[in-house]
Amino acid sequence: MPKDTLAAFLFLLPLFILVVALIAYPFYRALWLSLTDKLVGYPERFVGLQNYIYLLNDDTFREVVRNTMVFTVGSVAAKVLTGLAMALVLNHVWRWRNFFRGLFLLPWITSSVIIALTWRWMFDSFPGRGFFNSVLIDLGLLSGPIAFMASPEGAMLAVIVANWWRGFPFFGVSYLAGMQAISLELYDAAAVDGAGPWQRFWHVTLPGLKHVMVVTVVLSLILTINDFNIIYVMTRGGPGTATQVLATYSYEVAFNQLRWGRGVTVSIFLVPLLVVGIALVSRYLLRERN
Amino acid sequence: MRTVTRRKFLAGAVGASATLALGVPSASAQAAPAVKKGANLRLWILKTYVEPTNKAIEASAQRWAQKHGATVTVEYFTFEDMQTKYVAAIENRSTPDVGQLETGAPARFAGMGQLMDLTGFARQIEGQVGKPPANVAPVIVVDGKTYVIPWYIMAPFWYVWRDEFEKKKVKLPTTFEETKQAAHALNRPKENFYGMGQSWNRTADGYGVMQSLMYSYGVGWATKEGKYKSIKTPAMQTAMKWATDIYKEGIQPADTLSWTGSQNNENFIARKIAQTSNGPSITFALENAVAKATDAADRKRKEEALANSLALPHPAGPDGRRMWAIAMSMGIFKSTKDPEAAMSLVAHMLSPEETLGVMRDSYGQFAPVLDKARAASQEYFNKNENYRTFGKAAEWFVPTGWPGPVTAAAAEVQASNVLTDAPAKVIVDKWSVDQAIDWQDKKIKEIYDTLRA
Repeated sequence: MPKDTLAAFLFLLPLFILVVALIAYPFYRALWLSLTDKLVGYPERFVGLQNYIYLLNDDTFREVVRNTMVFTVGSVAAKVLTGLAMALVLNHVWRWRNFFRGLFLLPWITSSVIIALTWRWMFDSFPGRGFFNSVLIDLGLLSGPIAFMASPEGAMLAVIVANWWRGFPFFGVSYLAGMQAISLELYDAAAVDGAGPWQRFWHVTLPGLKHVMVVTVVLSLILTINDFNIIYVMTRGGPGTATQVLATYSYEVAFNQLRWGRGVTVSIFLVPLLVVGIALVSRYLLRERN
Repeated sequence: MRTVTRRKFLAGAVGASATLALGVPSASAQAAPAVKKGANLRLWILKTYVEPTNKAIEASAQRWAQKHGATVTVEYFTFEDMQTKYVAAIENRSTPDVGQLETGAPARFAGMGQLMDLTGFARQIEGQVGKPPANVAPVIVVDGKTYVIPWYIMAPFWYVWRDEFEKKKVKLPTTFEETKQAAHALNRPKENFYGMGQSWNRTADGYGVMQSLMYSYGVGWATKEGKYKSIKTPAMQTAMKWATDIYKEGIQPADTLSWTGSQNNENFIARKIAQTSNGPSITFALENAVAKATDAADRKRKEEALANSLALPHPAGPDGRRMWAIAMSMGIFKSTKDPEAAMSLVAHMLSPEETLGVMRDSYGQFAPVLDKARAASQEYFNKNENYRTFGKAAEWFVPTGWPGPVTAAAAEVQASNVLTDAPAKVIVDKWSVDQAIDWQDKKIKEIYDTLRA
């Protein structure tokens, strides 16, 4: 073996060990547990695809998957739109731009438990306390409080808003960086050709942001689909099971019902879908680069 | 792993029996196993909203440590992370020496082989700490063996604003039906005041009341032997109708179903609801408010509020009053390296003197179950009407899985939230009562069918 190759292997070894210990083994273990009927405190027994079949036939799980999709797509869509708006505004602010950029990052660095508690308070219908209800009642626009969190739609909207608020600064700052990398000459050329603001945005800004958008959306989809804190603190999956998502349901099955194997299956059920999604996006990005 | 040898145990038991037979005062101290100097134990205890109780329990453990030249490391868990902590500890083999366990835990953990068999120890210290009442046996005995020593009952009560009832000349409710009638009579939605606030959420405020309701209507999902039994009965239909009618009839705040653990307390204390189920932490909050009154007028107002907040036992049903509550006990994990010290600590903490010390700092939420402590606690619970009710918690207590023993399957039924998700399906998803019961019954049966023996 050439000396360089050996050195390369030696240098790669720590990384290889880390990848195996921190990623490959836990993932293999999770996959294995999902094929067992592991109960907390008992040894696992191989049951093949029994957990997957059970979940496919479980009405609660189907509702959980539906809720997860609504929560994830709703949150990410809202983050893309407001992130874009934030970047467009900040891109035209020359004074204090860095200050505003830092300011807008505050939600992103705040603890998600604090965010969840704050939004729970904002949507509270407790008279004289919930922010929205208090403001609307004080302005005379409402005679009594609205119970935002009482209906499935209201509760879902509340958790989406909280998740959106935490995540949109990341989108905004990423898009702002992307916008600043777009050559001004392209805007000048478009303007010379008679393109108005909307056309410049549509034909110059958006294509220029394509890669940043794909990366932020993929990252956010993965993070949102696995979000636990916001829903657990705000609604605990309620009312009923209206906001129960994969992360909270997995926790409930694994830690409260002590069905570890099934709980792990809940959490990795969508992994194949995510892997395919990530592979497609990566392939697309690489193709674009080539 | 070390265990108590038969010889050591018999020696202790004989010694204890002889001491008791001779009627020597403070026989208790000698009944507990001997402790080697330098013993080091980890003790897990429940942290509740009532901070003085937490401190009192920790102080009790430290008194034992001081007395024996030992060390006790106290670690807290809350109701929120109790399961998570124990599950992680069991899977990582890092269980404490001694742990405070809630109602369902002894059956679950004993089945996993995590708990020491304390049958002999329980008999050994009976003279010191007393005997548990028969209705607590289903919690502590699993397959004929005693795995934990019961300590106290933390019960929910039916809180009402007495002055609201008196103003409208409404009878104080004793049954679930009467609570609903009273709610209608007291309801003033235009003034943001509602007749009741009962949430079917994922906390003990939800599944606890649901069990009191079901059991009091004579509905149990298990037989006396702890096997599955169908709940598709007319009695369950009536119980489920009560659970859902209180939402349909506009006698509760619109967001009641989405309340988490503390919002019923807050709405009650803020006088937005006339009735709710809660533990004595409401009394704790109101007594504290009096203590923190800023002037005479403020004090008078707060004293009136305290006097008007009446804690009643959970309402009865057509089949009697069966009040679900949390039964807290002490268990010793097999992983302990020092079982004698662990037993000695348990015997110390559960002794009437120590139990009463903790109870006095509990604002009524700590109702002893062992007969010696119960007898000695009568004066404390005679403080006023509310405390007299708190003191009877052990009498009305029924455990999860009534009428059978607490089993791992019964505990899972409670933990799966199927008990409260079913009424939520009627209220939110507009299912029929029968549809919800069918769904609930199917889920319960599935738990019993698939849980390993």
